[in-house]
Amino acid sequence: MREIYKELAQRKEKIRQMGGEKAVANQKKAGKWTARERIEYFFDPGTFTEIAPFLKHRSTAFGMAGKDVPAEGVVVGYGKVNGRMVMAAAEDYTAMAGTFGEYHGKKFAQAIDMAKEMGIPFVGMNDSGGARLQEGIDTLEAYAWLFKSQNLASGIIPQLALLMGPCLGGQAYHPVMQDFVFQCRKTGFMGIAGPAFVKTQLGVDIDLETLCGIEAHAVKSGCTHVVVEDDKDCLEKTKELLNFFPQNNKEKPARVETGDDPLRLVPELDGLVPEHTLMPYDMHEILFKIVDNGYFFEISPDFAKNVIVGFARFNGRSTGVVASQPNWMGGVIDCNAADKVARFVRFCDLFNIPLVNIHDTPAFMIGPFEEWKGILRHGAKMLYAYIDATVPKVSVIIRKSFAGAYLGMCCKDTGADLVFAWPEATVTIVGAETAASVIFAKEIKGAENPEEVKATRIKEYRDLYENPYSAAERGYIDDVIMPSETRKQICSALDLLENKTVARPWRKFSNINM
Amino acid sequence: MNVTAPMVGKLISLDVKVGDPVKKNDVVATIEAMKMFVKIYAPADGRVKEITSSPDSVVNPESVIMVLE
Repeated sequence: MREIYKELAQRKEKIRQMGGEKAVANQKKAGKWTARERIEYFFDPGTFTEIAPFLKHRSTAFGMAGKDVPAEGVVVGYGKVNGRMVMAAAEDYTAMAGTFGEYHGKKFAQAIDMAKEMGIPFVGMNDSGGARLQEGIDTLEAYAWLFKSQNLASGIIPQLALLMGPCLGGQAYHPVMQDFVFQCRKTGFMGIAGPAFVKTQLGVDIDLETLCGIEAHAVKSGCTHVVVEDDKDCLEKTKELLNFFPQNNKEKPARVETGDDPLRLVPELDGLVPEHTLMPYDMHEILFKIVDNGYFFEISPDFAKNVIVGFARFNGRSTGVVASQPNWMGGVIDCNAADKVARFVRFCDLFNIPLVNIHDTPAFMIGPFEEWKGILRHGAKMLYAYIDATVPKVSVIIRKSFAGAYLGMCCKDTGADLVFAWPEATVTIVGAETAASVIFAKEIKGAENPEEVKATRIKEYRDLYENPYSAAERGYIDDVIMPSETRKQICSALDLLENKTVARPWRKFSNINM
Repeated sequence: MNVTAPMVGKLISLDVKVGDPVKKNDVVATIEAMKMFVKIYAPADGRVKEITSSPDSVVNPESVIMVLE
């Protein structure tokens, strides 16, 4: 063999050893796989091709001169996942702690640019000790390259972030600005600053897990969408989610033969909702019964639990499902729930994924707590997202759909192509008691027997409006259906809407209340 | 550990007594708000140490309904 071939083999082998035996052992001890193990497990066997393994920093300051950082601390390349091309970048904590420097950032950004141009999803695996401080402004500017690349790719290709190790400081905007964030239960951390910085700047003592772990982001902040157990689980769930997406915004998601009859009736749904209208129930029960094979991939299940969002299939079509959850806060929409829905709807619209919206919500949350948090501007995001969306939209009103929440959950004129309601549905501006107490306030006050008058007036209002028929008479509900027919109606509606096209005059964007 | 309401509402029932053992996500109280009965769930496993609110009172996300130990 020629010497130069030997040299190539040696150079590549050195890079494949990553940060060396000791660093790799430490990585394993921390319960993590190495970047190359992750890549290998993620891609279909034998399909991964690495890009730029020889890329190297040019820094000489503070001991960087001649310092060897294998693959610049991030393994980048492309290959097939579920048989379709995907670009990935996996940070290597064993190589100088996966620190983010100029060329580390350049590799990341170029991978995203290429994924965008080729129209394939990008998956980033984060495991980094943070900014490479030795490189100063070169590091800082590289963050800008990364953010710019991912921003310009946003809405063109799906981008997924996998928090498999730490991702702290400004770098943490990288996962958050992608479409979905996965976080490993024990090893994934994300935050604008870690505990040490919080201590020196604010004097607050807090540990990394409390500040930046899964409880912080999957429950409290809503930045994390899917909590996973470990690296293996993370990569498997990512592949599962990718199945619901098209490769880019010019395609529709692949349709899959699920073997579940689209015309299947679901008799268990008749009588499932409690007759007492104040009694809650678990909306998941309805979702599992109507989607193909009961398979539902929930997004952000522990954040803003008063609303459920996630992906499922109807007649094999990838579909975004948005549903009220009466079991949590009565299914009322608060600021967090509105944010959760709005971004989900926007994603589905960007990637040609139809939406099914299931209403059982009494209102947008009122009162000082939510008013001062800005329920109006947060709730506005839902209205904007739904009205902006041009994908097929089908709404089903199960029980309550009142006032602003009726509009916010997507009604006929906030964008639904077809609206169905169950016989239990009550669709109106306000509950009968409130309405009667306003309209007939004087009459009730002046009556000899105010309670009796009040009861009569409430009944009148209820009989007239607390039903699905007044809205159906105006054409705002396309049909009132038996609960058991829900799946069949949704599947037929999505068939009808398959080639829906919408023409609107040009504008740059709507001014959504961001 | 304090049990609080996720939202403002009228407390309509306390579904446990002092000394009762509770598991995480057990229903410990119910409030009525926004035309719905809203269940309050135990935030963790434990035992009811003290009940600090009474039925018909209005609770909000800052008021403590009961304390678990």
